[in-house]
Amino acid sequence: MPGSGKELLRKEILPYFTQPIKDLLLSLGEDRCRQLEEIRLRCGQPLLLKVGDKDFTIDSRGRLSEDILGGYQVGEEDIYRAIASISDNSLYAFEEEIRRGFITVAGGHRVGLAGQVILQGELVKTIKDFSSLCFRIARAVKDCALPLLPYINSSNGGTSVNTLVISPPRCGKTTILRDLARLLAYGSKRYPARNVVIVDERSELAGSYRGIPQLDVGPRTDVLDACPKAEGMVMALRSLSPQVIITDEIGRQEDVVAIQECINGGVAVISSVHASSLDELQRRPVMRELLSTQAFKLAVILSRQNGPGYIQDIVRWD
Amino acid sequence: MLFKTLGIALIIGGFGGFGLNGARRFERRVEELKNMRLALGFLEKEITCTYTPLSRALNRTAVFSEKPISLLFQESAGLLQAGEGITAGEAWRQGLEKLVRDSSLNAADLQLLNSVAAQLGMSDAAEQKKVFNLLQEELKLQEEKAREELKSGRKLWAYGGFIMGAVVVLLLI
Repeated sequence: MPGSGKELLRKEILPYFTQPIKDLLLSLGEDRCRQLEEIRLRCGQPLLLKVGDKDFTIDSRGRLSEDILGGYQVGEEDIYRAIASISDNSLYAFEEEIRRGFITVAGGHRVGLAGQVILQGELVKTIKDFSSLCFRIARAVKDCALPLLPYINSSNGGTSVNTLVISPPRCGKTTILRDLARLLAYGSKRYPARNVVIVDERSELAGSYRGIPQLDVGPRTDVLDACPKAEGMVMALRSLSPQVIITDEIGRQEDVVAIQECINGGVAVISSVHASSLDELQRRPVMRELLSTQAFKLAVILSRQNGPGYIQDIVRWD
Repeated sequence: MLFKTLGIALIIGGFGGFGLNGARRFERRVEELKNMRLALGFLEKEITCTYTPLSRALNRTAVFSEKPISLLFQESAGLLQAGEGITAGEAWRQGLEKLVRDSSLNAADLQLLNSVAAQLGMSDAAEQKKVFNLLQEELKLQEEKAREELKSGRKLWAYGGFIMGAVVVLLLI
């Protein structure tokens, strides 16, 4: 397993790029590589790197710069070769992924796609003539969810607590959920191990590539990859005898129904939702309805106050 | 006298052999166009029905098809499997370069095959199906033309070689 810095970049990300971009990225230092979150290629625009909260580009001498206009200009060739490489020259084998707007590559990294969208009726049929790619680098942060375990687990071996992780985008909710799955599935002397099912609609939690999780989600975890959340939760309940179901970014009416079914079936649900506070969450009708059922007993609120994954508040409703 | 007879036989035999070889090229071209169509049909099914990744699909087509057509698929599959950042179009063009050395296909046939290089693998299954169907249709037309050329050309080359040999002998005598 490569590290999280330059080695990871060299082994898992750079093979998809053209030689000029490879050379520029190889000139990054180890620290920058560790902090690198996104690499963006937009046709005719400078190559952008998201390092922490800032956007940088790399100039022709391999220096990072915040003056993005002086950076390496991404060309059509860079995009074409990257997409050919990501898809193994077989875009037809990724129709479903392209329809959803991203392809997950080996290592669990997600490549977001933009280009000309082709519709069939009112539904997206495919994207062609790609104009930009966004590589989001997946990194597991081991034990980042450790402080939550005493709240979620009961030490007497009973069930886990239904938990809602509330967070705005890019505050680490997916990383926290992934680590929770891992910790629950491994168990410890204090907390018994659980059978966990991850319903991973956007292939982000487990970073599955060809169905196999690329990130450590624990030895007792089953992953329903690219599966719609509501259907996946009910499927898991019927066929995989989970003790905990983990899913990301709930928000639709059918998600609420599926969560109710799981909770009534004696399975704990841990999920995330987009919001920056409980008040903001309450303003969304579907979520207000869900909270009023008192299905969730614990809310964990994340922020970027001290970097991604910072636990700002924990609210108990029991 | 013996040397003279031997010389005449060699000249007529040489020209005759050259003519027969020319006639066989017409037959081989028809055969290769047919085999190419069948191979492309196989590749199309691999892509549109089983969604096999291109390098593997080309490899399977190489096994399915006959020489020298298999050289195209074998070479392109090998280049893609080497994983050195080569695109499907580049691998296909290099495969064609390899094919041309051992094949009887003419420039127009090769140009048709070259025309799909940029689209190979780079669209959804429905689009790929269209690309392959069109190419197969065009190759079928080439095959029909080649059959017509075979009818007239085979006799011309086969007899023409011996006649040319005889004319050369007469001129020398």
